[in-house]
Amino acid sequence: MAMRQTPLTCSGHTRPVVDLAFSGITPYGYFLISACKDGKPMLRQGDTGDWIGTFLGHKGAVWGATLNKDATKAATAAADFTAKVWDAVSGDELMTLAHKHIVKTVDFTQDSNYLLTGGQDKLLRIYDLNKPEAEPKEISGHTSGIKKALWCSEDKQILSADDKTVRLWDHATMTEVKSLTFNMSVSSMEYIPEGEILVITYGRSIAFHSAVSLDPIKSFEAPATINSASLHPEKEFLVAGGEDFKLYKYDYNSGEELESYKGHFGPIHCVRFSPDGELYASGSEDGTLRLWQTVVGKTYGLWKCVLPEDSGELAKPKISFPETTEEELEEIASENSDSIYSSTPEVKA
Amino acid sequence: MARTMQTPLTIPVPVLRLPRGPDGLSRGFAPDGRRAPLMPEGPEAPGSAVVRDSRESQEQQARAALRERYLRSLLAMVGHQVSFTLHEGVHVTAHFGATDLDVANFYVSQLQTPIGVQAEALLRCSDIIAYSFKP
Repeated sequence: MAMRQTPLTCSGHTRPVVDLAFSGITPYGYFLISACKDGKPMLRQGDTGDWIGTFLGHKGAVWGATLNKDATKAATAAADFTAKVWDAVSGDELMTLAHKHIVKTVDFTQDSNYLLTGGQDKLLRIYDLNKPEAEPKEISGHTSGIKKALWCSEDKQILSADDKTVRLWDHATMTEVKSLTFNMSVSSMEYIPEGEILVITYGRSIAFHSAVSLDPIKSFEAPATINSASLHPEKEFLVAGGEDFKLYKYDYNSGEELESYKGHFGPIHCVRFSPDGELYASGSEDGTLRLWQTVVGKTYGLWKCVLPEDSGELAKPKISFPETTEEELEEIASENSDSIYSSTPEVKA
Repeated sequence: MARTMQTPLTIPVPVLRLPRGPDGLSRGFAPDGRRAPLMPEGPEAPGSAVVRDSRESQEQQARAALRERYLRSLLAMVGHQVSFTLHEGVHVTAHFGATDLDVANFYVSQLQTPIGVQAEALLRCSDIIAYSFKP
């Protein structure tokens, strides 16, 4: 029997989810942080989506959020003109970094010693986290607000995207090395260290460039405007989501569209693969995060594969789950309505 | 006769439960959460629940935390190259696939042995003295 994707919905945010990031793999598993326009970024267990805590302190929409590699620190960028650094174990605020305009993006170096920020003031800033009172180093050159800034090439270079350009900077000399110009607004950027690949989305295009030279590698066109895309760690697949509320999965080598999934009730703003590639998370205008399996039907996290011989009714797991009613299980299953035979969700009182 | 579109019958992947959401009461980061220090450090902060765990239950918590870390280390090992030190000074390397329920056997592939490469193999854990890998 073929299995149908069951996305796991993580609720809790009350406004659109605009950014999300995974940590690396730590002895405690991996973690996920989500940035939300409600100003309350949340930390979740990466493989289950279970809420761990909410970082309280920002006074405006949070536009960017990231975790350091071992998930001990978090950083957030907000519309209250600050970036904040948090202790991701206790949830305490460690630092508030004042900016002159809305901050959109934050990124830690591999060793968590420096934080890169960027925003509407068009400046890239590098903060030494061991000297929080010291003034940050600033890099100017962008002519429109910075949407995303990332460390690359083992933190020796910086990649930054504004409305229509992507620029590569040398960290040591703080000068621009190369730039790419687009005739459409760049919606997202992802950096893959293994292989030095840069994933850029603009319009309906998902483009792959070398992160070192910025030379184009390949690009695909999606059926709708794409807001975010992510490449699988083993570079077999990529996932993308955008304005038509759907998630698309492509074969990276052939460009063939493998799957598309409905489920979100609003445009998808961000999508990212987990560090082990077993799942990907999407954040949407509808205020939810959803977790999707890379290999549908595999036992992983909260997904439990049931073999055909084990039970007569495959849709209902055998062990009793006090927290989940049958109605809720049916509703989870029927959300992906690609199949003609999807069951009608029961009306909830 | 109209040709109806055939879609294969599909079963939705079963799930154990839904992801837990915020508790609506606190900001979270539970002090007894998995990443919290196992032993209380110094005087307890005012306002925190003072629970005198018996030594046994503290030990049990420590055991549970360590087991969870070990199981996660096994998960992190999947697909990676692992070096095994076996009895009598034998060293082999292989790609780690899985372990069984009791961690009695490791399922590996491309096992490089002194007498050649075995495409798939089961390593008895009782034969393994130590193993290491880089995540």
